[in-house]
Amino acid sequence: MSYGLTLIYGVMKIVNLAHAGVMMWGAYFAFVLITRLGGNPFLAPIVIVPVFFVFGMFLQRYIVRRVMGAPPISSLLLLFGVWLIMQNISYLIFSGDTKAITTKYTLLTFQLAGIPVSVNRMVVFIVGILALLALRQFLGHTYMGKAIRATAQDSDASKLAGINTSRITEIAFGIGIALASLAGSLMALIFAFDPDFGRSHLLKGFCIVVLGGLESMIGVALGALVLALAEALSVLWLMPAMQDFVSFALLVIVLIVMPGGMKGLVDRFFSK
Amino acid sequence: MQVKQVLCSWKLWLGVMVLAFLVLIPFLGIQGGYLQTLGFLTFLYITLSTAWNILGGYAGQTSFGHATFYGLGAYTTCILALRGVPILLTIPIAGGVASFYGFLWGYPCLRLRGQYFAIATIGVGEATRLLMLNLDDLIKNNSLLKGFLQKGVLTGGATGLMLPTPEDIRAYATGFYYGVMVLMFAALGVSWWVKKGKFGLGLFAINMDIDAAETVGVHTTRYKILALMLSAFMVGISGSIYAQYVFYIDPQTVFGFPMSIAMVLMPIIGGIGTLTGPILGAVVYIVVQDRILTANLNLGFIKLSLSALHLLVYGGLLVLIILFEPKGILGMHRRLNNWLKKGKVGSLITAGKV
Repeated sequence: MSYGLTLIYGVMKIVNLAHAGVMMWGAYFAFVLITRLGGNPFLAPIVIVPVFFVFGMFLQRYIVRRVMGAPPISSLLLLFGVWLIMQNISYLIFSGDTKAITTKYTLLTFQLAGIPVSVNRMVVFIVGILALLALRQFLGHTYMGKAIRATAQDSDASKLAGINTSRITEIAFGIGIALASLAGSLMALIFAFDPDFGRSHLLKGFCIVVLGGLESMIGVALGALVLALAEALSVLWLMPAMQDFVSFALLVIVLIVMPGGMKGLVDRFFSK
Repeated sequence: MQVKQVLCSWKLWLGVMVLAFLVLIPFLGIQGGYLQTLGFLTFLYITLSTAWNILGGYAGQTSFGHATFYGLGAYTTCILALRGVPILLTIPIAGGVASFYGFLWGYPCLRLRGQYFAIATIGVGEATRLLMLNLDDLIKNNSLLKGFLQKGVLTGGATGLMLPTPEDIRAYATGFYYGVMVLMFAALGVSWWVKKGKFGLGLFAINMDIDAAETVGVHTTRYKILALMLSAFMVGISGSIYAQYVFYIDPQTVFGFPMSIAMVLMPIIGGIGTLTGPILGAVVYIVVQDRILTANLNLGFIKLSLSALHLLVYGGLLVLIILFEPKGILGMHRRLNNWLKKGKVGSLITAGKV
């Protein structure tokens, strides 16, 4: 989820509020595939990810591109509108009830060094790691990946170097959306969800991205760690209901105090 | 000559007639007070939309966190009124509290630019809502703050707070109908005054180019904070009046994200950064909402309740407006006017030639 955000932000300098909607749709898509059509829960992403990749490219080509030159706030509002539409379409189709996916794997556990571990969570964890490794490989070692990074650094210069930037932007947007849907479909296996499900995760995603520094990939992983720690500690010291409060407050504080994220903080520390 | 011209203009008479109709609504008693409540809500939302527009439209700082002010206003009124403070006195206090809260988070957050400010305000809004939901439980465990509780209740958690209902509820409601009407005109007056004055000029400069504004000597952060506080004051008062009108508040309604969304949508639909845009936006918002929430679409084989569609419509409207007409309904009107004039001039020229 956060990686998708970073990618889109890096390439397009756009804050994508529709991410929450995509994530929620990913979850519902998985829900339909698994419970109605009887698909295997762990194979569902194979169908979901390509579908949303195409959806993301479509979104970029026909809607978002029209406001690329305009002030950033209008693209933010635009994607906010897209999110509202997505959210309410699911209210219409699935109603506002909280849904959960229960499969034969849900309650299955196995012993790892004497501690019972849920098979579900383990698989989700492994798929997440695999997706990140694949993304890293893709961005670092293929022509397309390099082109995406070049566009992120300087769009005009990469155009001069012969990169079809509008095509690249479309693909990056597609990948970002696909990652969000992957995150959504994986989370649907663990958590219960409703049409409003993406919002708190969107904010947390931003918190992680900002913590990690807006355009660095390792930073994002670090940011996720810090946020998870802060939430766990808040359960310990305050009360469980305040967990989300802590992460939102953290988001605001981090945005204000260290806009460069942890990387910026480290840099500043060493340069002194 | 000029006075005569003004008197003859149909716009003036239309305005007077609309105003007279609005003033007379409570006496007509159409449909058992339904129209009156609709009018009340419309005036309230026009106030909210105008208030948001001062920060979001004039200064260009999109805030998704204005529900915090609305909720704080409502809660201030309820908490104070339940402790015996005269209820009308709580209105300015509510505005003051909201304004102070605006200063509190605006001071750091307004240093952020553009989209980062928008994200931060979503964070602030959600954090405030969660804080209000859990405040009672937090205070209970703290020996220092326990004194604020009354029968173990300050904000009432998720159940919310209730105000006692007055005896003559009709007269009470009518009083508030006029009260909020006055409030709306006051808000519009403030908005007009800001727009005409030096303050507004500074805000517009910030909107256009913040660096250039700073170079020519606009104290940008101070201006932005002042705009936020002014806006928060109005929203806080509206929240307070809302609480007194419906007698019941809970964190999900007054602090909820939909409230913030409403305040963002109305000015954008109507025409951002203008005086009349927020009015149009609020009227469209309330009327459409009222129609949709009660309507059912009968497709012959299935009956579809349209209430779920209501934000869908606004989402769609928002996308269309940003894609095709960033100036909202006002922009559309202007474009239509230009087109009509062009048509007229064109026909005159051809007529002259013949």
